[in-house]
Amino acid sequence: MKTRIKELRARYDLTQEDLAKKIGVRRETILFIEKGKYNPSLKLAHDIAKALQTTIDELFIFDV
Amino acid sequence: MKDKIGILIGIGIAAAVLVTLSFFVLNAGNLELNEISLIGIVLILVAFAMYILWDRIKNVKKGLPAQDERLKLTNYKAGYYGFIAAIWSAVFGPLAIEILFDYELPGHLVTAVVVLVSGFVFATSYLYMYWKGK
Repeated sequence: MKTRIKELRARYDLTQEDLAKKIGVRRETILFIEKGKYNPSLKLAHDIAKALQTTIDELFIFDV
Repeated sequence: MKDKIGILIGIGIAAAVLVTLSFFVLNAGNLELNEISLIGIVLILVAFAMYILWDRIKNVKKGLPAQDERLKLTNYKAGYYGFIAAIWSAVFGPLAIEILFDYELPGHLVTAVVVLVSGFVFATSYLYMYWKGK
């Protein structure tokens, strides 16, 4: 699964740590989601999308 | 607050294990090879616990949670692998030692092997998943 988290973080000038603090997870979790090594729960995906002012559909690109 | 209590309990347990181990070593006299290897595994497990505690303290200081959903999942997975290792080591540990070293393990050492092998498997699988993000 690919994500646009890095791109949107850059748009809002947020570091991984800033985003992690906003949604209450560890920095490594953001890192692994960005790298596609960890699939977040629906709640976490929703929280990230909300923090980056977008939707889950816009944030995650599902490879079929 | 919950994170800090968890960290304090962890430090307390690690300190208690070290104190118990030092009393055992001081009073044991001459240690045999199997006892030394078991002590080695205990020290590795304490080092693992210290690393995890240090990592949690670092995160709490930065205002991040000590544990999140990814680490909880990692914990569950590592716990599962540790459980499987406990079963296998209980069944095949004494057998393997008897075949390889021609030594019949007494009951208390079988328990020690089971606890330490499952702990070791838990620690290594936890660290692997922690670093690799799987």
